[in-house]
Amino acid sequence: MTFAGRWTLALRLLARDWRAGELRILVAALLIAVAASTTIGFFTDRLGRGMLNQSAEFLGADLVLESPRPVDPGWLTQAREHELRSAATLQFASVVVSGERLQLASVKAVDDSFPLRGSLRTAPQAFAQGQVTGDTPARGEAWAATQLLQQLEIDVGARVTVGDLSLQITRVLTFEPGRSGGVFGLSPRLMMNLADVPATGVVQPGSRLTYHYLFAGAEATINGYRQWLQARLEPSHELLGVREGRRAVGTALQRAERFLGLSVLAAIVLSGVAIAMAARRYSERHFDMSAMLRCLGASQRDVLGLYLPQLLVIGVLASLAGSLFGWLAQYGLLYLLDDVLPVAPSGTRLWPVLAGLATGLVTLAGFALPPVMRLRRVSPLRVLRRELAPLPGRAWLVYGAAIGAVLVLMWRYTGNAALMLSVLAGAVAAVAALGVLGFALLMVARRLHARVGVAWRFGLNNLWRRRAGSVSQILAFGLTLMAMAVIALVRSELLENWQSQLPQDAPNHFLINILPDKVEGVSAFLQEKGIATSQLYPMVRGRLVTLNGQPVREAVSKEEPRDNALNRELNLSWSTRLQEDNRIVEGRWWRAGDTGRPLVSVESQLAQRLGIELGDVLGFSLGGATLSATVVSIRSVQWDSFRPNFYMLFPPGVIDAFPATWMTSFYLPASESALLMELVREYPALTVLDLDLLIQQVERIFRQVTLAVEYVLVFVLLAGFAVLFAALQSSLDERLYEGALLRALGGSRRQLRAGHLAEFAALGLLAGLVAAAGTECLAWLLYTRVMDLDYSFQWQVWIAVPLAGALLTGIAGYRGTRPVLERSPMVLLRER
Amino acid sequence: MNMAHAQHNTIIAAQGLGKRVDTAAGPLDILADIDLAVDAGETVAIAGVSGSGKSTLLGLLAGLDLPSAGDVWLAGQRLNALDEDGRARVRGQQVGFVFQSFQLLPSLTALENVMLPLELAGEADARKLAAQRLERVGLATRLDHYPKQLSGGEQQRVAIARAYAMQPAILFADEPTGNLDNATGKRIIDLLFELNREHRTTLVLVTHDEKLASRCTRRIQLEGGRIAAAATPA
Repeated sequence: MTFAGRWTLALRLLARDWRAGELRILVAALLIAVAASTTIGFFTDRLGRGMLNQSAEFLGADLVLESPRPVDPGWLTQAREHELRSAATLQFASVVVSGERLQLASVKAVDDSFPLRGSLRTAPQAFAQGQVTGDTPARGEAWAATQLLQQLEIDVGARVTVGDLSLQITRVLTFEPGRSGGVFGLSPRLMMNLADVPATGVVQPGSRLTYHYLFAGAEATINGYRQWLQARLEPSHELLGVREGRRAVGTALQRAERFLGLSVLAAIVLSGVAIAMAARRYSERHFDMSAMLRCLGASQRDVLGLYLPQLLVIGVLASLAGSLFGWLAQYGLLYLLDDVLPVAPSGTRLWPVLAGLATGLVTLAGFALPPVMRLRRVSPLRVLRRELAPLPGRAWLVYGAAIGAVLVLMWRYTGNAALMLSVLAGAVAAVAALGVLGFALLMVARRLHARVGVAWRFGLNNLWRRRAGSVSQILAFGLTLMAMAVIALVRSELLENWQSQLPQDAPNHFLINILPDKVEGVSAFLQEKGIATSQLYPMVRGRLVTLNGQPVREAVSKEEPRDNALNRELNLSWSTRLQEDNRIVEGRWWRAGDTGRPLVSVESQLAQRLGIELGDVLGFSLGGATLSATVVSIRSVQWDSFRPNFYMLFPPGVIDAFPATWMTSFYLPASESALLMELVREYPALTVLDLDLLIQQVERIFRQVTLAVEYVLVFVLLAGFAVLFAALQSSLDERLYEGALLRALGGSRRQLRAGHLAEFAALGLLAGLVAAAGTECLAWLLYTRVMDLDYSFQWQVWIAVPLAGALLTGIAGYRGTRPVLERSPMVLLRER
Repeated sequence: MNMAHAQHNTIIAAQGLGKRVDTAAGPLDILADIDLAVDAGETVAIAGVSGSGKSTLLGLLAGLDLPSAGDVWLAGQRLNALDEDGRARVRGQQVGFVFQSFQLLPSLTALENVMLPLELAGEADARKLAAQRLERVGLATRLDHYPKQLSGGEQQRVAIARAYAMQPAILFADEPTGNLDNATGKRIIDLLFELNREHRTTLVLVTHDEKLASRCTRRIQLEGGRIAAAATPA
């Protein structure tokens, strides 16, 4: 046969199969896989860009370069040539004077373009609600934070002096993008115009200055510029992108991306299972055709040459249709979530369509190719002896292809090779284990069959008789149910876990700079006003300088020479008791007798970044003095809990002698903000930090993530139904025949129906039990390894999932096997 | 009460039986004007060339299909007055089948295949009874074999054991030797007639095998969907 001839014939056969409805499930499953992946591809792309945008608002830019000196003007020219917008700020500590009173303030001088992303918020007076503004302080004017006004005991309108320059306070600064580096230990902010800085005379050689260069533009351009810059950075420079911008937001974003990727994968793998089942049925229904073709002189190659083009055409058409559907579904989603979605740069990008097409073809190749390849090996002798079926595909080929496809897709959706391999190894082991469990359950069910009614006995016998098929169906439904259960669990947990960390009265204010002699007074004040606080923690400023005697910058790995923790002073603290939200990951907490011993507990992420291990000796510099301490524990810390937390904790009696200030956090409803005035009047030296905005921001992001997750669940559900449907279809021919035979042998329709119901309900129940076991294991893994959350045994899963399984498969099986009841037993006389 | 039903030992009766199907070329009569009566314990061969309507008649007599004209009685029940489940009940209680292509479920062992009708009838001792039936057809050592592990003759024996599982009053056999070689076919026929004698079963079989037809007490010859001759061999 010629190439063109083969294609023409292949297309004609395809059209006939389509007309006969042979391809419906295969195409539907493929459509679901591609639609799910493209919808989510489009959506996460948009959501991701939106979230980055939002993070950018927090940073004030897409990229920030921090430097102690002005940078080479060529770098800024380069940014302009990249068509990036830019802004510059200069930050320095300076005493601000008003009449008799002095206060050390953190002064930020900004140019007119600041900020590039997000907005400043200002209020006309202290403790008033801030409003978004597009202005920056005009020359001769300054905006001050509430704390500064309190400490200087002045109001808006007063004049203050910075160095040689007198400035008028015209507004209260309530929010400023980019003020996110370290919240603690900050002096109150005074914002002024960058052009006024020379007149202050405070910028002298040797002054401690921080220049920030802000850049914003298209993502690709920013990335390009970032790479260009990275090659030129000096050790004193630091680059901050949106992903590093804000720890809490960053974590939420990362979890969301991982989660959505995982859900897409679940939907695709489930669709893959459905595709495999449908392809198997397709293949089996074409055995006769292949045998006939072989008989008529077609070679094995000719047979493949007929079926592979069909598969390719199905793949391309279904994938394109799926992409289109995904694209439309995305618009529906955007419409629904219009109010809560972050604003994203406009425009749809084409790559999700291409990715959808690739996903469709890879899925089809992985799951449908092996069964279709079987057609090649149909013996022509089948024309005479119908029972001759080709050997099933070799196991390694069938599973290898599927695993290969899943690997490719995982790489695409998680982009993490290590994660991918471990998940895959886990998955293979899990499928094997769940398969064994399914078989064991089936054996138990079979033992029961003597003690149940006729219908159930019949159903259970049926399951046992088709045990190979039953185990694979239990596995398929089990995995479907598991995917849905895990997603439902994780989805609610994502929110609940965070909300339980952040109860209604989550701290929204930090009190810092409490001097040692005021600790008791402040405590008493808060107690008297009925404000519950976290413990008061001492805070000593220090710098990590050596690791096991080596200067720390040389000791840490090359990739982390500019780790933030090394660049700035750390807040060191001591405590007798471990904070509630801290957990010892390695080593031990203080014992009796540790008081006064040079020991230290290190936060786990920092320890990991710097390669600090138990037993290492850390050298600190504390205001000129040095201190060595041995690491005895590594602690995990929940940074998004809004409670005071520390990288380094010492036992009591080690750093007590160094000058310390104290801090605490508490919840104060907005209606009681007058108390803050009272507090700072009484204790003018302390600083109040308001976290409400930040908390709202993080809450909003979590809400968005949850919505997205719920949307994804619909696709996983659809894919689950595709599996169910495909499984039903794949056994339908056999059931039709069997039904006819049973009716010829005297079985009533009611008996058949009850038998089907019992069979499918039992199948669903067993699948549900398998799923519950799988869910428990997978959720544990996800919680502890991927999402860094604590896990507790989920007993509800063991009730809800088997019940849902029995109900879903029971109903679907009952409805799906209806044709069996309609088939006339006459077929037994006609089909020979 | 009609004439065919008048005799107390008539177990199958048909009157004015016809089957018409709609085809692209208009309605087609596969069967027409069939009148017959079969007594309990009789052995009847329905013979005729391919397409003469043998299997259609068998299907109607056994209640597997509904006629488009006329009536069928089986064991005192008018089949065309019953719904599908009612006919199934009659089949389950009164009728056994043996098919040309055996119609064993490939996913079941020999024993399980024979257990099916017993299970459907809610028989408590299904396994034991099924084993006895298989023993009777000489397959005591093949209980746990799957159909594909059995020869054609053995498969048909399993089918016969299944047909006799419920000790039916009537056994319908559709070309029972059609897929078997001569020697095997003969042994199957011997077995069928043996069981027929043991259980006093009425045997109705469709065949174009002259030798087989000649062993029956009566022969109904079909031609073009009508009875051409109903003869009792000498």
